[in-house]
Amino acid sequence: MCQGVGADKDANREEPMKRWTIALVVTVFAAAVALSNAWAARVGDRAPDFTATDSNGKVHKLSDYAGKFVVLEWHNRGCPYTAKHYTSGNMERLQKEWTARGVIWLTVISSAPGKQGYVTAADENSYVKEMNAAPTAVLMDPTGALGHLYDAKTTPQMFIIDPRGMLIYNGAIDDRPTTDAGDISGAKNYVAAALDAALAGKPIAVATTRPYGCSVKYAE
Amino acid sequence: MLYMDSPNRTERHVVAPRKLHRWRVSFVLGMCAAVLLLGAEAKAQATPPSESVSHAKVSLIAENASAPPGKPLWVGLLFQLDPGWHIYWQNAGDSGEPPKVQWELPEGFRAGGIRWPVPIRLGSGSVIDYGYEGHVLLMVPIERSPGARGDSASPIAADVKYVVCREICIPGKAHLTVSSPTGTDTASQASEWQKLFQEARAQLPKPAPANWKVSAQSGKNDFYLTVAGMRPSRNVSFFPLRPGLIENSAEQKVAARHDGFLLSLRKSENFAGPVSELAGILVLDGRGYTVNARVVATYDLTDTVVCTEDFGCVRG
Repeated sequence: MCQGVGADKDANREEPMKRWTIALVVTVFAAAVALSNAWAARVGDRAPDFTATDSNGKVHKLSDYAGKFVVLEWHNRGCPYTAKHYTSGNMERLQKEWTARGVIWLTVISSAPGKQGYVTAADENSYVKEMNAAPTAVLMDPTGALGHLYDAKTTPQMFIIDPRGMLIYNGAIDDRPTTDAGDISGAKNYVAAALDAALAGKPIAVATTRPYGCSVKYAE
Repeated sequence: MLYMDSPNRTERHVVAPRKLHRWRVSFVLGMCAAVLLLGAEAKAQATPPSESVSHAKVSLIAENASAPPGKPLWVGLLFQLDPGWHIYWQNAGDSGEPPKVQWELPEGFRAGGIRWPVPIRLGSGSVIDYGYEGHVLLMVPIERSPGARGDSASPIAADVKYVVCREICIPGKAHLTVSSPTGTDTASQASEWQKLFQEARAQLPKPAPANWKVSAQSGKNDFYLTVAGMRPSRNVSFFPLRPGLIENSAEQKVAARHDGFLLSLRKSENFAGPVSELAGILVLDGRGYTVNARVVATYDLTDTVVCTEDFGCVRG
């Protein structure tokens, strides 16, 4: 009866009862796939629209930025992988360069209250000033709704959305998954490379990578 | 844990975090010196010199004083972690990073790769990692090329980089030289360390039994791992060797077969490109086995699946 994968010549001889059972199983599989949001933010698909509030109380929707490139940068200043890019000035440089070229750069903080990395809006505004960071805005996501919508797993994790609203990059900031700031200068920066290509109308060579960092500190 | 038990354990070389002020470092070192002096009189059980950041202590120990003839000398990086803190497996999972080591060896000596014990699943929700808690010994064989002029009594040293995490991650770095049992209690120390090596060996994954038939298919959204040649089982989980291949937080659905099981592994949304083999550790009823299956083409969901009371749902 169990013939292994791929070959089943006896399908036509199955009894109606078994066929019904099979149909049920297939439907259950399909429904499970449809309900699962494991692929909420897959490169090549439309990026999920969201509504989020920034550290100055302003509300942002992804759809507000139709016609622009948008970068989402998941952030937790206490994570050594994030600190690597901030204390070295690397992230701030990227933010300055690309916002100057018309890219909307949204830093996102999804740490839940009581969890490591949770900060108040005022605290975050001080930090941005102190670090000379230059995001368009910092989205405060303490419920983790935006994080879960994009299935952000690490800090940092980077997403790039194109002017049509399609997700064109999801993954690591660069190809050196370490906490060592010394690894930045020799690293291939995936975000810069993707934006360079996209702004020039060229295909993105590396559109999806495994992100590296500390886990996003969602509520339990 | 061996070293925590010793009432006279005094060696704790603190690697000062970057921002620690000098006077604080001097104070800490002074306290260490004082404790060492005080402890010197008492019966001492030698402990390996180690380095630590908060919550993790790492040391380099050897199974024997020197390599048995024709065999490697097994050394090991011993991580001792505070409760709730963990380090990572060679595939860290969704976050974190495995320990990395660079060796300084006598001329003609060569270090093999780390032998990773079977990890556990860590984390919760949408972020799942693979690693170790408590204590873990990462064993490495040191081999001597024929005609090597170096002496195995020369120091073997390692530069180790790692992160130890709980809610936060702390990067650690250590330069360690291998310790051999020393002092008045050599025999018992050596036997303690050998026990650690035996324990670590028992925790290594075993090769899959010869009678297992392991195959893998790539579907639209999932990889499917089929193991045949055993009694039906559902108590299985798979730890992939390759990072970023599967969705680590997704449930690994098991369908029991009359001769084994079928495991579905959700593909990672960050995974691009074809994969030719599915390699990793299959944990079955608490025991780990290395499996490596060539991935063959698509498994269509419309293929026949048969459900019966005895065996649950299986591919017919």
